[in-house]
Amino acid sequence: MLLPFLLALHAVTAVLLPWLVRVAGPRAFLLACLPPAATVVWVLSRAPEIVAGRPATSSIAWVPALGIDLDFRVDALALAMVLLVSGVGAVIFGYCARYFHTGERGIGRLAAVLVLFAGAMLGVVSTDNLFALFVFWELTSITSFLLIGNDDRKEQARRAATQALITTAGFGLPMLVGFILLGEIGGSYRISELVAAPPTASPWLPVALVLILAGAFAKSAQVPLHYWLPGAMVAPTPVSAYLHAAAMVKGGVYLIARLAPGFADVDPWRALVLTFGLATMLIGGWRALRQDDLKLLLAYGTVSQLGFLTLLAGAGTQVAAVAAIGALLAHGFFKSALFLTVGVIDHQAGTRSIGALSGLGRRMPVLAAAAALAAASMAGVPPMLGFVVKEAALEAFLPGHAAGMPPGAAAAVLTGVLLASILTFAYSARFVWGAFADKAAVSERRFPHPSAAFVAAPVSLAAVSLATGALAFLLDPLAQSYAAPFDAGGQPYHLALWHGPTPALGLSALVIAVGVLLFYRREGVARIQRAMPRWPDAETGYHLFVHATYAFALGVTRRLQSGSLPVYLGVILAMLLALPGARLVVVLVTGDVAAPGAGEGFRVWNSPLEGVVALLIVVTAVATVREHRRFPALILISAMGFGIAGLFALYGAPDLALTLVLVETLTTVILVFVLRRLPATFGTRPNGWGKRLTVLLCAATGTFIAVSLWLMTAARTDAPVSLGYAPRAHEAGGDNLVNLILADFRALDTFGEVVVLATAAIAVASLVLLNRRARVVEESGADPLEEEGAAGSDGEGDPAAGNGLAAGAGGTGADSGPAGEGDRS
Amino acid sequence: MNIDGERQRESRGPEGSGGAPPEGWEAPRERWLSTVVRPAFGPRSVLLEVAARLLIPAILVLSVFLLVSGHDKPGGGFAGGLVASMAYVLRYVAGGRHELAAGMPTRPERVLALGMLVACGTAVLPLLFGAPLLKTFSYEAALPVFGDVKFASFLVFEIGVFLIVVGLVLSVVSALGARMEAEEEEAKAGRERARRLRRTGGGPR
Repeated sequence: MLLPFLLALHAVTAVLLPWLVRVAGPRAFLLACLPPAATVVWVLSRAPEIVAGRPATSSIAWVPALGIDLDFRVDALALAMVLLVSGVGAVIFGYCARYFHTGERGIGRLAAVLVLFAGAMLGVVSTDNLFALFVFWELTSITSFLLIGNDDRKEQARRAATQALITTAGFGLPMLVGFILLGEIGGSYRISELVAAPPTASPWLPVALVLILAGAFAKSAQVPLHYWLPGAMVAPTPVSAYLHAAAMVKGGVYLIARLAPGFADVDPWRALVLTFGLATMLIGGWRALRQDDLKLLLAYGTVSQLGFLTLLAGAGTQVAAVAAIGALLAHGFFKSALFLTVGVIDHQAGTRSIGALSGLGRRMPVLAAAAALAAASMAGVPPMLGFVVKEAALEAFLPGHAAGMPPGAAAAVLTGVLLASILTFAYSARFVWGAFADKAAVSERRFPHPSAAFVAAPVSLAAVSLATGALAFLLDPLAQSYAAPFDAGGQPYHLALWHGPTPALGLSALVIAVGVLLFYRREGVARIQRAMPRWPDAETGYHLFVHATYAFALGVTRRLQSGSLPVYLGVILAMLLALPGARLVVVLVTGDVAAPGAGEGFRVWNSPLEGVVALLIVVTAVATVREHRRFPALILISAMGFGIAGLFALYGAPDLALTLVLVETLTTVILVFVLRRLPATFGTRPNGWGKRLTVLLCAATGTFIAVSLWLMTAARTDAPVSLGYAPRAHEAGGDNLVNLILADFRALDTFGEVVVLATAAIAVASLVLLNRRARVVEESGADPLEEEGAAGSDGEGDPAAGNGLAAGAGGTGADSGPAGEGDRS
Repeated sequence: MNIDGERQRESRGPEGSGGAPPEGWEAPRERWLSTVVRPAFGPRSVLLEVAARLLIPAILVLSVFLLVSGHDKPGGGFAGGLVASMAYVLRYVAGGRHELAAGMPTRPERVLALGMLVACGTAVLPLLFGAPLLKTFSYEAALPVFGDVKFASFLVFEIGVFLIVVGLVLSVVSALGARMEAEEEEAKAGRERARRLRRTGGGPR
């Protein structure tokens, strides 16, 4: 099977695109069409087999031990999604070549991420493994974050991108937990196996399903998590058309449709899907009616349609499943056509506000006709695909026809769907009127005529909506293939333009009639909307949550990171005394440990010289504590360090002694650099209780260390590891054991340590230099060293974050160095 | 602790007043270092400059010796790196930041990066030949002049450590020492500019 290669082709194209865009400009998008177009060709060539019930599969082992494999399986549902993701994707990439200008900022990145997104989405819909699905799923979240925030100089774009990422990826985590639960109780991570044999006996199954639905609802912008989708409209219009109409937001619907054949009858599933889907449909439609920005109108329309799709995909009946496949395709075609239309209008006229557009229908008749067709499909007007689908949807919830649902619930859902369809008709009409009608109160704008190739994309998508509607029987085998697992009660429903005079047809006519009325009374509707009390906004909830998180983090940080080194040291020492120290006291009291006394290998010193050095250390330590001036205190501390190096030398550890001497010397010199900036004496020293506490803490810690060392020397139960080193040293090619341990036996430790060293070097340099960044940029070229520093510290980061760090560096800079000796109490 | 270097240079001269030695009496008349010397601390000192000139090559040689001798005797990459960076610190203390910049082979970040590259390379290279991570090999050969020479592949790893230590110290010195000094000079220049403006009776309002 070719699919893994097609995925790899997406990745390779994404890598090449930034370079290609630099060379060829936006025309490089035409090359970006290739991977999705190839995918469509491949999937169509396999379509007859897939529809006949023989899915195309392949598998690549990834982490077989954990059941994580790249399994791919393209069945009827996946085929529909691939057509949507790759087919619409190819059209939109072609459109991008005209939409973007040569030399616009960041197109190379945009193109690469867009193709990467197409690949990730293809992975989501074609994989058969829960973990692989999750990985692709989060890849789409991340690429969507990058695409929404493409104009990274706009704060609004950055905020919308973060909002979308936090919502979709944040709810992806419970979904992962749900996946793992489902895989563990089902005994397999292959979706096809889980759906074929659902573990209905397990009490954990409802929990897993609720968690998975949470992730799917966030991805598909269901109320109350819908707020990110209108916010995401700051992205360039082709991106909105692709991600937020055709592909990404369908991810959640896809997952629901994927799991529905197995799990729709498990208890909270149907209630959740129907409730949230219905609420989303109504709220989205209602809010779409009052938008002035055409793109926002479409965004709320998308929210409404996603509710509709969720409803159909999750309902779990044969008719609903047939309708779901049709609705997935219909929505992808008409909504991307409409978004692309808005893109053309915005690109040519420079605005997309209903209140500023007039007479566009006369200027761009072809575009207006295409948009009218697409809107008709959205509104459910025959002979568009949208109509065919809406018929099927109404049929699915007619009381008595809906198998497996109580008549009361079916009637409630049907009423909801009818209301939402009326709203949909009204806002579709409002879209066409707002974009293309002559408005008496608005003056016409002059703008250049769009090129034929630019308009071709929306026109072709609208034509597909028309063609698939008129020839709906072509899509029927696909829908039947997906809906086959559901019980049809002997008479399966078929997608077709004409079913005869059915109740659903009557309802469709009713929807259109009331919708037309609603459109003509639009001023009255607007008055009602204005008069409505403002409901608690879901977005406010998001902001409250984010603010609460920040406030909590700040509060915790402020308490834990007081900025005073003595306090930090005090906390560490207190913890040392509280945990191991307390244990040591317990051990001493109960007598579990034998304290080595004289005659059991315990002696005061090996040679009296050690006593002399120890005396030197004690004297310098006491003198350090009593010294009030910084510089002498530093020298005394260094002397103490040299004393310890002397002890090492006396014990026969020349390597340790050498390294310690060198480190002490360097530290002293570097501290002297810092001392230049600090006052000559310690400003405040602890007094009274502070002093007593400090003395007590330090004395206790010192005693603890001494006693534990004394006990540990006698506590050995096994032979030391180092005995094995000596015989192996020669084999490794050296005689210096210390060095061999560092560079050979424990080289991985050393490697980790040098990585820490390098990180510390970069951190120190950037912390010291950051607050100078602004000035360094001003005075560039002043002298060579300056420039080096500037280049070293000039990161790619967000300027706001940079300032924050600089402030932090300013705060801690004063404390770095010898302030630990009691600079603040 | 900040002693004005420029004042020192201007008032340099043999004649002194009173019993105290004249200002700048320690300053050398010959050129010992490679740039116009403005030490990091205090006045110029002939002792310091001569010592730096004579000692720095010896210290660098010692650092390489420590690096190579680490197989069998005390030393190794870490100690060698510390010694080598000490040579640069001495150069900075004696000659100031321009002297340090003149003496550095390249930017400290590059030294760090090179060290990381060498260390990572020796860590990963054995994997390509089917050996475990960080596996070492050693060879002994009898060369005509040098006698028996031993080469162990962990020497390469040690070179990486050496470079990382040098890079670390250099970047800390140029951040904490040289950078602060530059800031002080800048502040002084600002003050002088302000004074000049006041003297000429106004500036851009």
